[in-house]
Amino acid sequence: MSRISLALAAVLIAVTLLGPALAPYDPAAPVIAPWQASSSGHLLGGDVLGRDVLSRLLAGGRHLLVLSLVSAGAATLVGTLGGLAAGWGGSRVLATGADLLLAVPVLLPALVLAVALPGDAAVVVATVMAGAPLTLGVVRDATAGVREHGYVRAARLRGERTLAVLLREVLPAVAGVLAADLGLRFVTALQLASALAVLGLTDAPATGDWAAMLRENLAGAALNPAALAVPALLLALLSLAVSAAAHAGLRHAFGTGDSW
Amino acid sequence: MPFSVPTGLPRAVLAPLRAAVLLLAVSIAVFAATELLPGDAADAVGAGRASAAQLAELRAERGLDRPGWERWAGWAWALLHGDAGRSLLTGRPVLDLVGGRLPATAVLAASAFGLTALLVLLGCALAGRRALRRPGDAGGGLATALTAVPQVVVAAALAALLSGVLGWVPPVSLLPPGGGPPDPSILLLPVLTLALPSAAFGVALLGGVVADALRRPYVTDALIRGVPTGRILRRHVAPVLAAPALRVLAVVVGGLTAGSALVETVFGYAGAGELLVSSVAVRDTPVVQFLGLGSAAAVLAVLLLADLVPVRRTS
Repeated sequence: MSRISLALAAVLIAVTLLGPALAPYDPAAPVIAPWQASSSGHLLGGDVLGRDVLSRLLAGGRHLLVLSLVSAGAATLVGTLGGLAAGWGGSRVLATGADLLLAVPVLLPALVLAVALPGDAAVVVATVMAGAPLTLGVVRDATAGVREHGYVRAARLRGERTLAVLLREVLPAVAGVLAADLGLRFVTALQLASALAVLGLTDAPATGDWAAMLRENLAGAALNPAALAVPALLLALLSLAVSAAAHAGLRHAFGTGDSW
Repeated sequence: MPFSVPTGLPRAVLAPLRAAVLLLAVSIAVFAATELLPGDAADAVGAGRASAAQLAELRAERGLDRPGWERWAGWAWALLHGDAGRSLLTGRPVLDLVGGRLPATAVLAASAFGLTALLVLLGCALAGRRALRRPGDAGGGLATALTAVPQVVVAAALAALLSGVLGWVPPVSLLPPGGGPPDPSILLLPVLTLALPSAAFGVALLGGVVADALRRPYVTDALIRGVPTGRILRRHVAPVLAAPALRVLAVVVGGLTAGSALVETVFGYAGAGELLVSSVAVRDTPVVQFLGLGSAAAVLAVLLLADLVPVRRTS
């Protein structure tokens, strides 16, 4: 299960990154009639302006994917640094506040931030705000868990500096947890990025954006359902694959329990 | 949310106190995020065409040249006296603008909430039945997986199916121009789009609790003794569920609040959520501040409710 989802996620990410080079038509230029159904030359038909849907799909994942990866990476990085410090020092900071954050709908802070910041920056900041405390909690507990292990104690007794112990002994021990956590933050970031793209608040490229395509082609649902259904399917597959891989990773790292 | 500060104060005092402090913090965060970051209201009104002198005049006129905390205090003070300021775009009072949109959102949110509650109950019943039949199975995988799917995907899939393929409802949910109650058919797409992800989240969080409660020794024991299922649910399962259910309620209310902004905009339904998004797009700061704080207050109110109910631990 986890191998399948990991492989699916890898294939989707590879196609998304290489996609723009594979597009058969110019994804930004009209080439057929608006919302024309699929034909031999245009496998998935045309969109609201008659642009080739297949080309726009191939070109339209990169911005969303890179934005989500950057946001997730920033959230995990901030949370990891805080979590290593808190777990090493034995601090219970944020222990009571982190579960509160689960109830905060992350779209609201993102919308408020989007007033003053560009949409993409709002996605990054909101993902970090909502995700970093959760990462911090997970990493803090994992760090506190390995702190008294023999090899960590040995490194400390050898007289290595704290930073070196954290980076060389503790960080590799919690790497599995971190990878899974990165996956969960990616899912949140993807949900947020696609929401803001649908609302027209991110800098969606003219060559297409899976989420923005959903809104563009909503009114043409009856004429060319593929223009709506295929980007939706790709977004769903990407988030499902990453989420399944992340949950499998967490189960692996923590035994059987599934933790958020 | 467990609040375990070692203090003698009773929960009934602590919980409202914490909610008040959080609301204060949120108001500062909302104000700071909308006012203090680069690009203020004068820039937005000037739209790049005003000269530096005109901008300075505009800032002085609106008090934008005063320090940030002073402006926050002025805003909060006015808000406490029922004045939320005026829209930068239309000049109309923010309270009038929001008040005009609230009934539509209330209808949508209430319908979505009802459907969510129904689906969560159904999902928990299924999770419970599964736990009794297959005790070793953790379950809950499907609901957890569904929470990963972006809400816009749910919106698109439902629109493609119900409007595109089946042709049952229009793809946009326009309200009647003269006001009045909306046609139920236009509510179908927005309500389903709001309720399905919320319900998946609720079942993912609550289904495991139900399954755990049913696997407790005294419950299995009561089942073997032949105690009626209804009584077991009432006496042994429901009390354990109350606190987690309220916490899930808080999450669901938060999800519906944020989701309504997305869903109303996607389906063209003129409610408060659509007003929030369009105000963000034109940088109408006073409207965004009021709606942002109002949404946060709604979520905090439910969290307060969840805090007031004692957690019953039976382990």
